[in-house]
Amino acid sequence: MTKVITKEDLLSWLRQLAEKYAIIAPVTSNGVTLYKSVGSSEIDKINLNFSKTELSPKNWFFPPSETLFTIVKDELPRIIPASVDREAILFGLRPCDAKGIALIDKAFLAEPADVFYQEKRDKTTLIGLACLSPCLECFCTSVGGGPADLTHLDILLTETAEGYITQATTEKGKQLLTGAPRQEKEIIPPVLPSLNLILAEGITELMPRVFNDAYWDRVADRCIHCNICAYVCPCCYCFDIRDYVSKGKIERVRSWESCQSPGFTRLAGGYDPRPTKGAHFRQRWYHKLLYFPPIFGDIKCTGCGRCVRSCPVNIDIREIITDVQRMKV
Amino acid sequence: MMSINPFIPYQATLKEVINLTPDIKLLNLELTVPELQNNFDYKPGQFAFLSAYGVGEAPFGFVSLAYRKSGIEFAVRRIGTVTAALHELEPGATIGLRGPFGNYFPLEDYKGKNIFIIGGGIGMAPLRPVINFILDHRAEYGNLLIINGARTPKDLVFANEFDTWAKAPRTQLELTVDKGDQNWKGREALVPAVVTELKPSPVNTIAITCGPPIMIRFTLAALKGLGFANNQIVTTLEQKMKCGMGKCARCNVGDKYVCKDGPVFTFEQISKFLEQY
Repeated sequence: MTKVITKEDLLSWLRQLAEKYAIIAPVTSNGVTLYKSVGSSEIDKINLNFSKTELSPKNWFFPPSETLFTIVKDELPRIIPASVDREAILFGLRPCDAKGIALIDKAFLAEPADVFYQEKRDKTTLIGLACLSPCLECFCTSVGGGPADLTHLDILLTETAEGYITQATTEKGKQLLTGAPRQEKEIIPPVLPSLNLILAEGITELMPRVFNDAYWDRVADRCIHCNICAYVCPCCYCFDIRDYVSKGKIERVRSWESCQSPGFTRLAGGYDPRPTKGAHFRQRWYHKLLYFPPIFGDIKCTGCGRCVRSCPVNIDIREIITDVQRMKV
Repeated sequence: MMSINPFIPYQATLKEVINLTPDIKLLNLELTVPELQNNFDYKPGQFAFLSAYGVGEAPFGFVSLAYRKSGIEFAVRRIGTVTAALHELEPGATIGLRGPFGNYFPLEDYKGKNIFIIGGGIGMAPLRPVINFILDHRAEYGNLLIINGARTPKDLVFANEFDTWAKAPRTQLELTVDKGDQNWKGREALVPAVVTELKPSPVNTIAITCGPPIMIRFTLAALKGLGFANNQIVTTLEQKMKCGMGKCARCNVGDKYVCKDGPVFTFEQISKFLEQY
């Protein structure tokens, strides 16, 4: 017997949860699906049949732009740190996106923890939706994930004709599920889709030997530094910090940045230890596939394919991984 | 020691400003929170972010020694927007300070060894606390040889300490400039050439160097020519940094973050980076 929740019960449960929690869920408007904050009266707007959101859910913990603190000019600067007020439920995560959050956790929760990120992370419960019709550009199973991987979620829901199968994997998830109106049913779990496979296995070991190959300069030549790859990536987390002054108030703001930006490593005075376009481009793949794994135990890619879909010049991580495999040294 | 939220700076008061060169100022700071004033600890090689509020923040190596309790000092060269704003400040101004961050020179491990300091321009800044630490613990170290180089005589930093350094026991100070002026009677030579000329023995010696990348590259070659091994040569890397905690990934080099795994590295470590430094 399996515990399931019908679609109607799921929505009314969410409506009830919205009284206490901030609910962040996929909402489609003008053809674009994004994670948005939905109030109890807006639960019907949640799109339960979306394929993939345009932007990853990392925005919730690590916004494109956030004020770290504000200084009001008195006699002495008075620092008013930003803070979050209530607990949240991030609903409708695909397992790949949950993994993206887990990968950012590794860097941001490492000592000393990023307090701004940690506060939001601690106050959020992750409810996932198994991926039953993956997108064309996905390859999660090639990089250690899967369409119903519940490893990085608190709760996983899997849709069937009888309703959603509910699985809680953490204490936080179990607690939350106790309030959900579920029924015991005899359910045949759905057949999970098979995904395109790329040869990512062993890629970390192959990266060092092609570091000086002209390949990186050649592919980089068509990059236009738009940074969309990093912005849509569920696990890219480079950032910038700047001060902004307006109306006697100073704000210290953290914003997304990308290693593909021309000034990413340039020092005051002009010296740039990573001066070429090819070197910038190479850093993205080396950070993801070679540098991150020994520190944090995993390659920094979830196989969500957003960068593949979004790149205006068709730079494709699947091709890069395949090319590295093929390159003869 | 770090505040509960390491993104939030401590407030510090600018106590004193000393012009070291035409474009380098020594800023002496005191933390405004009394409990911290006597407990703020840091080691030679570590760094902190200084905030010129409204303009931004940038990382600077400590040039003072915490145990001397004579203020927290930084040598700031006017080179960009934050440093220009810091140069504008006058005593009494409030500066934000975040830190200490990074590793440090393992001076305990160097006890009993000869120390060879090679600094160029503002690169002398992180080496000053190393020199002063050794002079404060003079009996515990071997010979101390210092090369301080700059573009012109007026660009030599810490000139008011040269006498103290030169007169210390078993200590030799060698100054050099790229181009002298009418009053200059000393060397006119590039730092790496002075290294080769002085020929210090690599036996039981640690060479610590900091300066512009081009100077470091040729100094490294000169040291190797004298027989120094990569693990006997230590430097402190400068990289763009925003957080200081291995998050923002600006200073990522290979599987290292200069801000938390460095900034102090041996050339043995640096030689393993795929990128050239």
